[in-house]
Amino acid sequence: MNQLRAELLKIRSTRTTIGLLVGLIALALLFTILTCTLSPMPQLLTEQDQTSLLSFGSIAGVFAALAGIMLFTSEYRFGTIWPTSLFNPNRVHLFATKITAGVFSGLVFGVIGEGLVFSIGMMILKIRGVPIVMTGANVTELIVGAIVGTALWGAIGVAVGAIVPNQVGAVISLLAWGFVVENLVFGFLPKFGRFLPVHASDSMMGPIEDKLLPGNAGTVIVVAWALVLAMAGVALLKRRDVS
Amino acid sequence: MPYVVQSESLSKRYGDVLAVDDLTFAIEAGTITGFLGPNGAGKSTTLRMLLGLAKPTSGHATVFGCPYDQLETPALRIGAVLEATDFHPGRSGRDHLRTLSRVVALPDARVDEVLSLVELQDAAKRRVKGYSLGMRQRLGLAAALLGDPDLLVLDEPANGLDPEGVRWLRDFLRDFASGGRTVLISSHVLAEVAQTVDRVLIINHGRLVAESTLDELTARVGGVVRVQSPQLDQLAEALRREGIATTRSNDHSLLAQGTTRERVGDVAHAAGVAVHELVTEGSSLEEVFLDLTSEGASQ
Repeated sequence: MNQLRAELLKIRSTRTTIGLLVGLIALALLFTILTCTLSPMPQLLTEQDQTSLLSFGSIAGVFAALAGIMLFTSEYRFGTIWPTSLFNPNRVHLFATKITAGVFSGLVFGVIGEGLVFSIGMMILKIRGVPIVMTGANVTELIVGAIVGTALWGAIGVAVGAIVPNQVGAVISLLAWGFVVENLVFGFLPKFGRFLPVHASDSMMGPIEDKLLPGNAGTVIVVAWALVLAMAGVALLKRRDVS
Repeated sequence: MPYVVQSESLSKRYGDVLAVDDLTFAIEAGTITGFLGPNGAGKSTTLRMLLGLAKPTSGHATVFGCPYDQLETPALRIGAVLEATDFHPGRSGRDHLRTLSRVVALPDARVDEVLSLVELQDAAKRRVKGYSLGMRQRLGLAAALLGDPDLLVLDEPANGLDPEGVRWLRDFLRDFASGGRTVLISSHVLAEVAQTVDRVLIINHGRLVAESTLDELTARVGGVVRVQSPQLDQLAEALRREGIATTRSNDHSLLAQGTTRERVGDVAHAAGVAVHELVTEGSSLEEVFLDLTSEGASQ
C-alpha cells in the first residue's frame, strides 16, 4: 500500500497526467458536440447507432495507456528508476505496484472520458428530439465496458512501458498499433482482427460494430492481452540491468 | 572489525567488453573509502552491482552480509547517490523525496528534516529543473539520507561542484562518518577525495590495482618520509635496525625511504627519540594515482 501511494503521488506530482486529462476532455467534448450535433437524424435512430456514437469515451483508453507508459518510461528517461529501484529492489513488487497504479489512473480516465461523452451526448440527442432506444442494459454495458476497458488499457500501457523503456519508442509503438496496424488487420481480416486488443476492448461496450466479439468474450480477450504483456514486461524487468 | 561491503571475484561483461574483472575487496564499518579510477574503469558498474541494479556476470557482492535485493527495506540501511540527474525535472524537490519516503513509510517530517540537513529547505517546493547542479547533488544526498542509513554509497558526488560545494560535501561526509557510519565514495580525481577518505581502492580496466591507506600507497611506490629530530643519529640507527634506509638531508632532517609516517613515528617512539616534524614526501599522490591508472598499467 505504501508503494502504491508513492506511485500515485508520482502521477499527481507532475503536469504530464494533468496534460493528458486536459487533452482527453478537450477531444471528448469536441468529438461529442460535433458528431451529436451534426450527424443526420436517420443515422441516430437505432440502438447500434446510439451506442456507437456514445462509445467515443473509450478514446480514454489511449490516454490511459499513454499515462501507463509514462509510469515506467519516465523513470528511465529521467533516471528516477535508480532511486525507485534502490527503495524498492523487488522488481516484481515494483511492477505489480505500477500495474495497479496504471489501473487506478485508467479508471479515472475512463470515468471522465465516458462520463463526459455519455452525459453531453445524451443531452444533445435529447435536445435534438432523437428518440432514445438504448435500454438500461445497453447503457450499463456501454459505461461499465468503457471504464473497465480504459482501466485495462492503463495496465497494458504500464506493461508496454516495461517492455519498451524508451519513451518515444513506446508511445509510437502504441499509437502505430492502435491506429494503424489493428485497423488494417481488422479491415482485411475481421475474424482475426476482432481478437486484437483495441477491437476486443471496443466489443466490451456493446453492439457498436457487427463484426466484433460478444462483450464478455471481448473482456476475456483484453484481460488475456494485459496478462500476456504484463508477464513479458515483468520478465524483461527482472532480466535487465537498471541503467 | 565487521565488513559492511564485500565483493568477491566480481565480474561484469557487456558483450566483448569486460567492464569489471574479478574484483575482490571488503570495506570495514566506520571508514570512508575512496573508490578511485579513471573514467570507464568500472567504478559505476561495480557500485551498481553492489546495489543490486546490475547482475554480475560472475562473483557476488554483499552489503551488510546480504545481496542488496535480499535485505529487508535496504533504504533504511543504505543510502546511495548514483547520478546528479536522476530527478523528474517537473517534480519539486520535496515531492521527489516524498515519492521515495512513502515507499518505506517515512513521514513527511523526515523529508523536511533531510531537506534542512542539505540546506535545500528554501527550494523544496521549486521544480527540480530550476535547480543548479550543486542543488541536485544535495537533493540526491537528501534522498540517500532519508532512511538514516549506516552506509552511504556515492558515485562521483563532487562532479560539477564548486570549491565551496566540495568543502561542504567533505565536511558533511566527515561528520556522517564520525558516528561510526561508513562511506564508499567513487571519484576519478584523487585530489577530490584525498582529504576526505581513510583508505582507497583503485581500479583500472575493471581490475583492482591498489587497496590501502593513502600513506601506504605513497610509500609503496617509493614514498619518502622526512623526519626532523634533535637526535638524528639515534633515529637513523633505530630506523636502520628496522630495515628502513635513511639519508641525511641538508636541513638537518632524515629522509626515510619506502615507508610511512606511522612506521617512522612508531620507531622513533620505541627508541625514545623526540620528533619535531614528520612529513610524507616523494611522489605526489596524484602521480601515484596516474601511475597506477595510466593506459596499460594493469593490462
